[in-house]
Amino acid sequence: MTAPLLELRDLRKHFPLRDAIGRRRGAVRAVDGVSLAVPRGTVLAIVGESGCGKSTLGRLALRLIEPDAGSVLFEGEDLRALSPAALRARRRDMQLIFQDPFASLDPRMTVGAAIAEPLRLHRITPRAGEAARVAELLERVGLRPEAARRWPHEFSGGQRQRIAIARALASGPRLVIGDEPVSALDVSVQAQVVNLLADLIRDLGLTFVLISHDLGVVRHIADRVAVMYLGSLVEEGPADALFAAPRHPYTRALLAAVPGRGIKAPPIEGDVPSPIAPPAGCRFHTRCPHAEAICRTEPPALTGGAHLAACHLQDRLPPAPPLREAEPGGDRLRRLQSFFQPAGSDA
Amino acid sequence: MSATADSPARRALRRFLRHRLAVFGLLVVVLFILAALLAPWLSPADPLQTSWTAIRKPPSAAHWFGTDENGRDVLARVLYGARASMAAGVLSVSVALLIGVPIGLLAGLAGGWVDALIARIADAMLSVPFLILAIALAAFLGPALENAMLAIAITASPIFVRLARGMALDARATDWVEAARALGNPPWRLGLVHVLPNIIPPLLVQATLSIAEAIIAEASLSFLGLGQQPPAPSWGSMLNSAQRFLTQAPWLAIFPGLAIFLVVLAFNLMGDGLRDALDPRGERR
Repeated sequence: MTAPLLELRDLRKHFPLRDAIGRRRGAVRAVDGVSLAVPRGTVLAIVGESGCGKSTLGRLALRLIEPDAGSVLFEGEDLRALSPAALRARRRDMQLIFQDPFASLDPRMTVGAAIAEPLRLHRITPRAGEAARVAELLERVGLRPEAARRWPHEFSGGQRQRIAIARALASGPRLVIGDEPVSALDVSVQAQVVNLLADLIRDLGLTFVLISHDLGVVRHIADRVAVMYLGSLVEEGPADALFAAPRHPYTRALLAAVPGRGIKAPPIEGDVPSPIAPPAGCRFHTRCPHAEAICRTEPPALTGGAHLAACHLQDRLPPAPPLREAEPGGDRLRRLQSFFQPAGSDA
Repeated sequence: MSATADSPARRALRRFLRHRLAVFGLLVVVLFILAALLAPWLSPADPLQTSWTAIRKPPSAAHWFGTDENGRDVLARVLYGARASMAAGVLSVSVALLIGVPIGLLAGLAGGWVDALIARIADAMLSVPFLILAIALAAFLGPALENAMLAIAITASPIFVRLARGMALDARATDWVEAARALGNPPWRLGLVHVLPNIIPPLLVQATLSIAEAIIAEASLSFLGLGQQPPAPSWGSMLNSAQRFLTQAPWLAIFPGLAIFLVVLAFNLMGDGLRDALDPRGERR
């Protein structure tokens, strides 16, 4: 296997909490020692409940926020070692798609100016060819070239997300991170945007990190899946293997929580513990139906070759019940599409 | 940025024009600005020309607004007085914007101790009543219209520091500014291209309201003898000399007083209209 495009090594980010006069009062352990590798041309999904640190991880990977410890290797180069100017220059190769398309576009910039901005910043296209390149990008995401002259507020959520995708692709990045790219969209539009992303990933050979809590979408486009819980990885493996035979009780619980899934794992109870004071030992032990004495004291390591899990009991757990539907996510998407797209236009 | 299609600026203009009182305010403001600019051509007499034969004459066909205690034409003095007031209002607030906005942007975007220092200084200045600080500064600089304007500009600037800082802090947390950072924008471009255009609307509203305040401050300083120096006309100094003749010659006080009242009201109405027109809640739809 060639060197991964993106590699995270033991990344850590704690957000300090301060009282009224600025004294430190603990910290939110948003990301607490995460290591991951994303091979070129693959799609890695990072899943987990809200607040588990997956969005923070995405921003750390692009060094939009500074990690407290650990390193981010992009094409083998440590992003933390780059000067601010060198980092800015590097940004043409790595882009981010935001969750909320109503917030991610500058309201005082026309669509054309927004998409042309990365071209100008990195001096990619000469001014004369700019309009043509913008039109090409707009068409690539399924919008009419005339959209360039209009303003973000004139577009719907789905259209705005397409604009944000065009902007992210303008500089020809090798790595794109999508932070919940479809969660804020209407269900009818989600399927279209997911398909657009899948097409772009395939056609442009993108390396894509999908941050999502929607396992249907993840199932549809991810090659590998990493599951996060309270700032740490609990399981990571090939999507097929992970969906077919989840090895961590938390992953089983997540899969069981998808409506319409046939998997019968014991339901988990209670709320996610506070990331300010995470439980000792295995962080999931407070909610785990299988927890034993060792889970309360010893933090489990991520082990297991190509399909990793951080669970002391992973080899002793009862086998995961089989899935009722072979491809629930795909099925749901297909149902949605048949519902919302004119007959025969299904990709 | 060209105003193609349906630009935010164009939509704001449309909303502003639907606001009747604001349009009235704008018209009055424009009239006063024209009066100030065209005073030499509009004025029926020389504002400094005294006449021993026309002392404290009530309004008549020859002197529409009457004459003052030195026989000078009050209409001419009100027209020329508009120059001092408009200059004090518009110029000193412009200077206040030029001082306050860059400092506020810097504080909001830089953060850390730079922000803490700037914010505390601005708060300290804002804790002193506007007029008291302006009087103290003007007295320190010496009585002259330019010094009064400078004093007003300095006194009016911390409100812009605070406003620009707060808006920059808000903007810094938005997705579009983070997106701009992710695209590779250097810090100066983040501030000037992405943050500044988005914080102009509230600054514009505040500037309009500050102009009204500055006009009152100039009148007050001139009333106290710290602004425009006699014999040059200013509404404030006219009011000062009028108080001795309030019962015998009320027109000496009424016309400059009415001018101050009208222009301040007009700027306030305009500010309210701008606020409604530029309200971000109206931006979607």
